[in-house]
Amino acid sequence: MSTVTADSSRYGRFMTGLLRITLRLDTFIHTLYPTDFNPLYYTGGLSNLFLFILVLSGIFLFFYYEASLAAAFESVRYISDEVPYGGIIRGVHRYAADGFIVAILLHLFRNWFTDRHLFSRDNPWISGMFLLLFGGLIGFTGYQLVWDERAQVLTTMFLAMLRSIPLAGDGLAKIFMGGVGIGEGTLVRILFLHIVPASTLYVMLWWHYLRLRHPKVWPPGVWVLLVVGLVFLLAGVIPATSGQPATPAARPTSFPMDVFFMVPFWLLNWLSPGAVVVLGVLLFVGGLAVPYFSRRETAPQMGVRHAGVAQVIDGNCTGCELCYFDCPYNAIVMVPSPGPGLSKAAANRTLLAVILESRCVECGICIGACPFEALELPKFMERDVRIEIAQAVQA
Amino acid sequence: MTNPKIVGFVCDWSVELAPLLNGNRLRDLPNVYVIRVPCSGFVRPGWLEDALNQGAAGVFVTGCPYGDCLNREGNFLMRDRVDQQQRRLQRRRIDPARLAMFAHGLHDREAFMAEVRVFSDRLAAMAGGQATPAPATEPAPAGGSP
Ligand code: SF4
Ligand code: SF4
Repeated sequence: MSTVTADSSRYGRFMTGLLRITLRLDTFIHTLYPTDFNPLYYTGGLSNLFLFILVLSGIFLFFYYEASLAAAFESVRYISDEVPYGGIIRGVHRYAADGFIVAILLHLFRNWFTDRHLFSRDNPWISGMFLLLFGGLIGFTGYQLVWDERAQVLTTMFLAMLRSIPLAGDGLAKIFMGGVGIGEGTLVRILFLHIVPASTLYVMLWWHYLRLRHPKVWPPGVWVLLVVGLVFLLAGVIPATSGQPATPAARPTSFPMDVFFMVPFWLLNWLSPGAVVVLGVLLFVGGLAVPYFSRRETAPQMGVRHAGVAQVIDGNCTGCELCYFDCPYNAIVMVPSPGPGLSKAAANRTLLAVILESRCVECGICIGACPFEALELPKFMERDVRIEIAQAVQA
Repeated sequence: MTNPKIVGFVCDWSVELAPLLNGNRLRDLPNVYVIRVPCSGFVRPGWLEDALNQGAAGVFVTGCPYGDCLNREGNFLMRDRVDQQQRRLQRRRIDPARLAMFAHGLHDREAFMAEVRVFSDRLAAMAGGQATPAPATEPAPAGGSP
């Protein structure tokens, strides 16, 4: 309950401050929207929506794109200027990508600040870090595909970063370019590195959702309409543009950088390529470690009692599957019943509920679901609740 | 009945109770006894009816704001179960308005207290509603929450 008391460490106080800010923000948003429509509750669904828009518009662009040094820039121009609605679709792809990054970052920070990455929720967090990594890679290769001046500079910077990795660096750069220098094979590889990781995102999403029953995959309908409308509006009003075509002799002039994808390259202004690589690796590894080291307090300090993993009372379970449908973490499986139960209702059962202890978060939702008194949380026994009720109504 | 006996099941993760409690009762509304539960979805609807049958004038469950349940689903499931239980109560000629579902976040102390107070006042106004079986009225909305 009281996540706001008894913080010992400075880090804990800092994280508690962030939690407060997050919740205050929610309270403010709730003055504008009903709670069911708070967009911050649907950051995951919004990311998924953006990803879906990206896939659809990406398929369209793929039909026209040519992955060769000579034709890439021209094919992008052709899409923008000559294909009917091509410019719009390109803009949609561009702005949906920005929206995607904003949404996944919001998703990450919100779930971090509200402690929704701890304990048995480390699975979505870890898969989320990989989704983020791949998302960044896809965004980066997307910029390169246009093969304008900016793309060329980015590629050069990226190669410098690759080469700075000890031992493997030169080899990696060679693999990336498909030869000793940027050549005809390079853009094919970049296209591959754009599309295949994007497909992999869906595999990772399966991992991301693995332990969740009824994940909120889509935001509410009005938000879907608003987002789709907004992306199309932006694409129409501010079309996505290319810079100058890339020529081997081109000297990098100034061009707009996209903050979300380009932070590492922007850092190159101050740091050596090797330092940026080290920083990136540290961030990623640190990110993976967050669920295990960023606990602001222990459960007792938070005033939360340890409830114990839910237990099925074999004799009472009728195999009605209600708990199986309601457990939000897919922690209950139904197995063929090895024998009849003891109670009258359970005498003819064909199924038996079994708790997968490693997935159970001790929330007790299954207790409320079971109409046959066949589930208990060890530290919150039904008997104790009944005693409390009796206390409450007497006197 | 001026001080209706009320039992409240309050989720550990929803409204912060420490500053509001005096023992197991709300300091400002001592007629309200609070039972803390690990998630609003933990509450078995049968317990709510038992509490009513054992002499409580009203029962409520408090979870986090809808959409923000720590366990993602608990408060939605509980809202459905409370609705269902209200229909069941009505069939048994118990006024369904004696059962309510609230949703408040960690810092929504004032809103929580205000809603409990309204609930308590309404029960006080219905005093005697227990003795005379309630006519089959429309089921009351599940708490004032959106
Ligand atoms: S307590 Fe029950 S509902 Fe909650 S995670 Fe464990 S098995 Fe699932
Ligand atoms: S809800 Fe209860 S009776 Fe039904 S399957 Fe689950 S444990 Fe068994």
